[in-house]
Amino acid sequence: MKIMDFLSEKALCADLKATTKKEIIEELVSSLVDAQIIKDKSKLIKILLERESLGSTGIGQGVAIPHGKSESVKKLVAAFGLSKNGVNFDSLDGEPVYIFFLLVAPEDSAGPHLKALARISRLLKDKYFRDTLRSAKDEKMLAKIIKQEDSRK
Amino acid sequence: MNQPSKSVTKNVVIKNKTGLHARPAAVFVQVANKFDSEISVQKGKQKINGKSIMGVLMLAAGQGQEVIIVADGPDAEIAVKELEKILLSDDDEKKIR
Repeated sequence: MKIMDFLSEKALCADLKATTKKEIIEELVSSLVDAQIIKDKSKLIKILLERESLGSTGIGQGVAIPHGKSESVKKLVAAFGLSKNGVNFDSLDGEPVYIFFLLVAPEDSAGPHLKALARISRLLKDKYFRDTLRSAKDEKMLAKIIKQEDSRK
Repeated sequence: MNQPSKSVTKNVVIKNKTGLHARPAAVFVQVANKFDSEISVQKGKQKINGKSIMGVLMLAAGQGQEVIIVADGPDAEIAVKELEKILLSDDDEKKIR
């Protein structure tokens, strides 16, 4: 599974404005709405925030993978965003988060979700890749960086 | 009393319905990090550091799949025991936390 199989180029944001966990999730969900990938914005935000309340998806190293299941999607979809200043996300390592991968999976679909998490982890484990991502100036560059890494590994 | 360093290996079949996804992986890594032993987890040919959440997520270990936990160090035995418990838990994770 490749990142670009489930991440649309229209759902990338190189400069998230949000400064809190709630705002980050709202901003990423908005990008999915704007890209016409999902419709039910408020319901999805609620699902994702509920998931966060069970334990932060901030997995450390400046990365968070907020995710949830929704009947409004037929297949796994994702949004990606960068925060230049970092946001407190109650991460496992207590550090601010700069790189956000938001995943929305259909109900009753453990497989693709696990594979997507594995793929994202495989790429983001590499510090050089994380640094390269964070240096992206705009969405076009972000897409290029992700595609390049996606085809390499 | 210092226990001698040793290596303990255990094959475990994942019970959790949704597999070793983000939340159980986070719990696994948090527990793994309590121990002095080096901990690795292997699925098929892939072997990762059991103290790294990205590593654990990379395994994409689903329900019914087998992983091998290896702990190496003074507390290897107890480490493997506790980590196995997490993988064998088939509770809804909401109940775990």
